[in-house]
Amino acid sequence: MRRYLIGRLLQAVSVVFLVTTLTFLLVHLAPGDPLSAALDRPGVSESVRAQWRAQFGLDRPLGEQYVRWLASIPRGELGYSFSHRRPVRDVLLDALPRTLLLAGLALAFSFALGIAVGVLQAERLGSSRDRWLGRVLLLLYSVPDFWLALLALMLFAYKLPLLPPGGIVDPVMHDYLPFGRRLLDRLAHLVLPVLTLTLLSSAMVARHQRSSLLAVLPSDWMRTALAKGLSWRDAVRRHALRNALLSTITLLGLSLPALAGGTVFVEKVFAWPGMGLVTVNAIAARDYALITAGVLVISIVVVVGALLADLAVAAADPRVRMQ
Amino acid sequence: MTCFDLLPRLGARQWAPLALAAATLLGCKDTGSSSAGSGDVGGTVVVATPGDVGTLLPQLVVTQADRQVTDLLFDRLAEIGDDMNTVGDRGFKPQLAERWQWAPDSMSIAFHINPKARWHDGRPVRASDVRYSVALIKDPALGSTAGPLIGNIDSVSVKDSLTAVAWFKKRTPEQFYDLVYQVLIVPEHILSNTPAAQMKTADVARRGIGSGRFRLAAWQPGQRLELIADTGNYRGRAKLDRVVFAPSPDFNTAAGRFLSGDADMFEQLRPEQITQAAADGKHKVVRYPSFQYAYLAFNLVDPKEWTRPHPIFGDRAVRRALTMAVDRRAMLRNVFDTVGTLLYGPGPQALAVTDTTLPQIPYDTLKARALLDSAGWIPGPDGIRVKNGRRLEFGLSTPNSSATRHQYAVLFQEAFRKVGAAVRVDETDFAAYAAKQGTHGFDTELAQYVTDPSPSGFKQSWTTAGIAKDGSNFPAYSNPTVDALLDSATASFDPARTRAYARRAFEIIMEDAPAIWLYEPLTVAGLDKRIHPTKMRADGWWSGLADWSIPAGERTARDQIGLRPAQ
Amino acid sequence: MTTVLRAGRDRPVLVRLARDGRARVAAAVLLVIVGAALFAPVLAPYDPAAQLDIVRLNSQPPSWAHPLGTDPFSRDVLSRLLWGTRISLAIAFIAVSLSMTLGILIGAVAGYAGGAIDAVLMRLVDTALSIPRLLVLIAVVALWHDVSIPALTLLLAGTGWFSVSRLTRAETLVVRERDFVVAARMLGASSWRILSRHVLPNVVGPGLVAATLGIANVILLEAGLSYLGIGVRAPAASWGGIIQDGAQRVGDLWWLTLFPGLAILITVFACNALGDALRDALDPGQLQASLGDDTPHQTR
Repeated sequence: MRRYLIGRLLQAVSVVFLVTTLTFLLVHLAPGDPLSAALDRPGVSESVRAQWRAQFGLDRPLGEQYVRWLASIPRGELGYSFSHRRPVRDVLLDALPRTLLLAGLALAFSFALGIAVGVLQAERLGSSRDRWLGRVLLLLYSVPDFWLALLALMLFAYKLPLLPPGGIVDPVMHDYLPFGRRLLDRLAHLVLPVLTLTLLSSAMVARHQRSSLLAVLPSDWMRTALAKGLSWRDAVRRHALRNALLSTITLLGLSLPALAGGTVFVEKVFAWPGMGLVTVNAIAARDYALITAGVLVISIVVVVGALLADLAVAAADPRVRMQ
Repeated sequence: MTCFDLLPRLGARQWAPLALAAATLLGCKDTGSSSAGSGDVGGTVVVATPGDVGTLLPQLVVTQADRQVTDLLFDRLAEIGDDMNTVGDRGFKPQLAERWQWAPDSMSIAFHINPKARWHDGRPVRASDVRYSVALIKDPALGSTAGPLIGNIDSVSVKDSLTAVAWFKKRTPEQFYDLVYQVLIVPEHILSNTPAAQMKTADVARRGIGSGRFRLAAWQPGQRLELIADTGNYRGRAKLDRVVFAPSPDFNTAAGRFLSGDADMFEQLRPEQITQAAADGKHKVVRYPSFQYAYLAFNLVDPKEWTRPHPIFGDRAVRRALTMAVDRRAMLRNVFDTVGTLLYGPGPQALAVTDTTLPQIPYDTLKARALLDSAGWIPGPDGIRVKNGRRLEFGLSTPNSSATRHQYAVLFQEAFRKVGAAVRVDETDFAAYAAKQGTHGFDTELAQYVTDPSPSGFKQSWTTAGIAKDGSNFPAYSNPTVDALLDSATASFDPARTRAYARRAFEIIMEDAPAIWLYEPLTVAGLDKRIHPTKMRADGWWSGLADWSIPAGERTARDQIGLRPAQ
Repeated sequence: MTTVLRAGRDRPVLVRLARDGRARVAAAVLLVIVGAALFAPVLAPYDPAAQLDIVRLNSQPPSWAHPLGTDPFSRDVLSRLLWGTRISLAIAFIAVSLSMTLGILIGAVAGYAGGAIDAVLMRLVDTALSIPRLLVLIAVVALWHDVSIPALTLLLAGTGWFSVSRLTRAETLVVRERDFVVAARMLGASSWRILSRHVLPNVVGPGLVAATLGIANVILLEAGLSYLGIGVRAPAASWGGIIQDGAQRVGDLWWLTLFPGLAILITVFACNALGDALRDALDPGQLQASLGDDTPHQTR
């Protein structure tokens, strides 16, 4: 177990390192430099530009800049964001919890929903219930996420104004509401984005659940259980589920990049200022420091999540550790 | 009873022009100050803005969002008059300076600071603050974009604690305006500990401690910025208790927030939004003047080598032909419906030097094609014209932040295609777009401006001197006659002669067709019905915000918050 | 129950596929869509870039003259949708063909060679898989803003081969130990020959499934990028681009969001259904293929 753990940790670190390097290269190979947005405009004199570039070390050779960048990460100094005009660290500290909240809730709901639906399908395999659920799931799986978000927004915020059209909290009243109403305000703003994300992810989870259940159905102990007189439904629920859960946990690990990058459109449509929206806006504004740090943080989250998922599976299933 | 309760109910499409006409005709001057009374004090106004505030230091202001807030937090020495006069000091009203004296030779002006003026932290405002504020703008290490605009001001000296004397390099018609309009006074005792070079990233630039009638209550970047009334202010407290700026990622989300009731005010509605706001019974629309205008600029020099003329646009005939190829009125109708006017020439109609009778290049596609033929551009096999082996193909630079210009870009693409020119739309982020402007690295660009009340901006845009890196003559237009005329225009103390010189200069510019004059958006703001605004000025609708009021009888939950701090 | 567990090993893949109801419907739908793309010049009533009357005909709701309405530039939406099918499908097919080829080759090489080559390649793949694909695409397209359609296609291809290579590698590991491969090795055949003759044809299965899903994903990605304004540029039409044109006024110009969205939905649905059917047809003994091939939805 320890060897496995160390092996996976090393792998995770090397991946993060590679991601950092690639992002750094990508950003520095692009035309312009991190200060272009702030400086390359008419009215700023040449000497001011040179002074700023020197102050931020941008006139040094690429190798030296890279080493400085690497050294600054563990210190938590991620640079200065010119589009937000605040330190990058502050911007990310605000944005990351918001995405984690959204993605976390969506993940939890979609797994619960997906597993339940997958089981429902497997219980009555081949029935019309199974087939129709399957079609609905495939439909949800095929829908473009930004389109679903736009439709949800159009329907529930504009045509039938039940829910707020975006943002995290009411811009005026939130701080002046009593605690209970404040909670309600936050919940109201969460409903649409979480609902959209949940619908999209649960389709994938349900399909995966169904397929992994089916994978264990032909197994020996399943046949034995049936032979012993256990009903199909109980057999599915008791034995198959436990085994299939393992693969579902792996899916959790695999869906992290999906969720980390996949919240982008939902965040954009619902104006939810999380990592996805912040990074995309940073890219549009060429805020290099923020882009690099944003991609780095997202990758770390993804890698850590995958690592945890793998470890959970390894802890549960001895076969995996042997590889 | 507001202006709009009087209008009959109509179908959707007819509302907008009628609502606008009514707004203009009836004036809709709900000046809160005329119906004053203690019952009018209080209330909250939430403003939906399409961009976030980045800095609270006036010297570092870049965007309109920044300006809105700093204009409310800080004061100027004097406030420009309602007629937007920029010559001498006619019409200017005392603000931080309660009076001023011109030296007999006009090379200096002594300003007497109002002794009751206080910073939001309680310390009194001193003449040394004025000296510091001017020095800060001029400091090249700070990199303020307003620096070149106060080049005529030599320095400020302190005669005594409440008297600051401004010294000028020479006597000009707008010397008073230059100093007073461009410089907002900031507190020396708070800012002087930070070197100018570090101001951009320093925390002090975000504290917003000024002397204005509003003070900063809270700022959560990306979410909201809250101002509350400075109750002990030397000019009297603001009528409103609270102003909240709620930023949104773009225009449409901001407008959506207003229409759904989240926000009380949005500064520029599109035609369909005007219709919606006027008809839904919760809102009213108010039209106000502005100095916004836009045109398509040709680059007259070769982007790779400024000393050579542009291979396509160096030829005046080509420029005139392309101007003739475009139905500007139809484009205006498409993009703005009725909420925009055609730009007649190099500047907006609200300026004093405007003359809309100047001759325009007509829309005539037949003539356009004939002109291109005679200029040597012959249609090739695919319909695109060719001359000396070079295709009539060029780029159109526009920033991705502007939906209006995006729409114009697509319309231009098709219009030019019809006369045999192939256009490639280069839509980039704003910084890249601005960088291309400064280095003349574009073929054509869609430029939108908001000008100052002063006509001296035209010197920056259309004289040979403005072609250099610090100027804004992006098309690199150069005509010595125009240079001389604009110089005379800005040096004259007689408004009539200024107008005459400017008119002649514009006439020549328009004949040379360095740009296609496109539009002036009609600015129509949306407000919640309960808000009584004052007159909205062309240079900033927010300038009178401190005197807006909400009658006690019409207040809602958000107005009841009062001045108490957040829980 | 017994229905489900019955093996159909004896019938060839295509026959099994043909008997699958899902596959038949999906294939028919895709055929119609491809037909629409091929015959767009004939079917489209107007030139997709023609701005018919920018004052009177812009932003018109669906009518007899324009069944799907017009956009804010007075262009006919039906024509743009049809021509957009060409672009969206072309990008998807080409990008996926390239990425599948690349992925299968690399996966097979890694799986067969083993050792250091395998380790390095798979480390690269793992790294790539942990960066959200969408962000990479947005970053590259936004930073180098002159991305043409061919460049976009290459970019999509270049970021889409990672999970296919993993799948193929897994399959190769199994096939490598099969009798005929071992025999070929003992007989002294060169590695390349073994790879091309014996290994590759047998590991293509999961790759094909991944290809159909890949096409679906690329269509969704391209639509998303065009919606953000950084995919296919004006005046070329693409499904996401039409949605983008109406994104400013979603409530008003609902036809600009609804119809292209439906087109995307139907096409992607058909691709996914076909992929499911293909997967079932390829592995009749088991009911589903090995773990991890159901590429998570939003990784795209």
